Amino acid sequence: MLSLHRLPGVPTAKQPLFPSTSTFTHPPRRPTCLFPQSKTLPKPPKFHKSPTALLQWNRKPQLSGETPRVVVVTSGKGGVGKTTTTANIGLSLARLDFSVVAIDADVGLRNLDLLLGLENRVNYTALEVLNGDCRLDQALVRDKRWSNFELLCISKPRSKLPLGFGGKALIWLVDALKSRTEGCPDFILIDCPAGIDAGFITAITPANEAILITTPDITALRDADRVTGLLECDGIRDIKMIVNRVRTDMIKGEDMMSVLDVQEMLGLPLLGAIPEDSEVIRSTNRGYPLVLNKPPTLAGLAFEQAAWRLVEQDTMQAVMVEEEPKRGFFSFFGG
Amino acid sequence: MPSIWTLQFRTLSVPPSIVICSSSNNSHGSGGGNGVRIIRNGISKWCSLITTRTNQLRQDSVNSVAKFHNHLFTSILNPPPPPLSFLVNGDGGMKYPIWMCVVALVLFVGVRAFAERVFSQRNHRPGSVADLVRRGQLRSDRRGISRPLKYEDPFNNPMVKVGKSNSTVEMCGKVYRLAPVTLTEEQQAIHQRRRSRAYQWKRPTMFLREGDTVPPDADPDTIRWIPANHPFATTATDLDEELAQNNVYQKHGVPFRIQAEHEALQRKLEALQNEQKLKKAVIDPATAREFERPFNSLAEKSSVNNQVPDSKPSKSDIGLNNLEGKSSSQED
Repeated sequence: MLSLHRLPGVPTAKQPLFPSTSTFTHPPRRPTCLFPQSKTLPKPPKFHKSPTALLQWNRKPQLSGETPRVVVVTSGKGGVGKTTTTANIGLSLARLDFSVVAIDADVGLRNLDLLLGLENRVNYTALEVLNGDCRLDQALVRDKRWSNFELLCISKPRSKLPLGFGGKALIWLVDALKSRTEGCPDFILIDCPAGIDAGFITAITPANEAILITTPDITALRDADRVTGLLECDGIRDIKMIVNRVRTDMIKGEDMMSVLDVQEMLGLPLLGAIPEDSEVIRSTNRGYPLVLNKPPTLAGLAFEQAAWRLVEQDTMQAVMVEEEPKRGFFSFFGG
Repeated sequence: MPSIWTLQFRTLSVPPSIVICSSSNNSHGSGGGNGVRIIRNGISKWCSLITTRTNQLRQDSVNSVAKFHNHLFTSILNPPPPPLSFLVNGDGGMKYPIWMCVVALVLFVGVRAFAERVFSQRNHRPGSVADLVRRGQLRSDRRGISRPLKYEDPFNNPMVKVGKSNSTVEMCGKVYRLAPVTLTEEQQAIHQRRRSRAYQWKRPTMFLREGDTVPPDADPDTIRWIPANHPFATTATDLDEELAQNNVYQKHGVPFRIQAEHEALQRKLEALQNEQKLKKAVIDPATAREFERPFNSLAEKSSVNNQVPDSKPSKSDIGLNNLEGKSSSQED
């Protein structure tokens, strides 16, 4: 699961993926060398621009690409973890000191507010903004935990969004966010509804890149392949994949496809592989995203790593396949 | 009183042999040198001391016995006094440690009460986070979020450690074997070509309800037909597209619809006032005041309705009330 990082666009074939040097610490983006040849760990560069008091991390990933980066989180199949991923990656990015606006584009069945614990604070939605009942800044719900994270819901449950300009409305919203007085957000994450219906079409309209969420089962893979095809047809070329709910014990017993099998079927670069974790359900019920848990959980750490790669437009170079048996004193005797 | 004497001698704890010795000293007379004299003097001093002490003790004991008799006599004659008062009124030897204990107990209770008050004030300071949790304003399980995690990055921290050979990683105490990703750019391109062949798709830009006629210049591939009974989405909109765009781009001021409703109600009110002026050559000042103040009690409304036959003013009142409600929620 942990990655050996590489620069995007550098072919990985015929490259030694596990050189003798230690390359797991995230190196700064270097145009010349892929893996440092020294034995010592490379020291990350210091970013003095951002105030260190706001940073909880000792260093910050280097933002790659033009801002705002409009990322749609989609899957095709329902229940694979789109909303969970949006919430966790969004808050991870906010903790990395990037300003983030998460748009819940699931018109009929919105849930992102629940996952973030902001359900009681959503008074206005984008629909009210369009109708002229409120301004956009009134519809944005700022998270009190991380003030650089904001939520915008498209509509209230049971309300109807006029589809005539659904996609256009999202483009206007993104444009309005770009020209805000307090500055353009670094990331706009769009939580896409399941399926490839009108909601999906609306959600992908303003996006420049996509995160495809899938689980290692054939139903999710078929839908993911279809959705990837539609995204590519729509002109979104930067698609990365997150394989969710990975169980290494089942992979070891060959009851579940491994992450590498999934990648072989879809042919997409990996942004992350999230292990199955009971804490996900607990955090969902609490309205308290997983990445905020202390101590961090396995899935929370994986989400943090995925967020880091998203910032740097990086991909995974190595994946966790199985749990190693513990080497104890009695292991020699088969214990 | 021989019995009392023996009792007194036992309580003295002076061995009777010394007393005997003292009596024998007197019998020895003046024999020996200086040392003997010194010893004799010492012994005589001891003897005198003992005799005075025994005399004193004898007197005390007589007194104490008399006191005891007196107590016994009074206790029989009078009703029995409380045991504490007996102890307090008793001898000074018993009184002192009891008083000490009582004072220590009072001090302990006082210090404890003071400490409790101080700690409770610290925990329940009004407006503090603990106070908010106690009052239910803040959920205790959502606290502690803002405390930052202090580790280098998600790839190298106390929870994530990579093995020396880069083939294993330890996450949350579990060691996992790592396998390299083998996807190449060529393979990615092959998949892209496969998908482009498999999925021919144009993003629908036109949403029509089933049964609607297709516009002549529309690309049929970009039309998405929406069922008439679609639960959430609707193709019909009463909102102008340009207006909606302006609403989204509006940064300051009153939102469009709020302003429009307000202006419409204002116009209606003015029209009503003009109508009243036309109807009545002489304006009743009381009625005019009623029109100027839309928020009236029901009694006042009924009086206005009695004066004016049509129900339009009451409608405007309701409308303005609604507007007020909206604007107040807007401010929130």
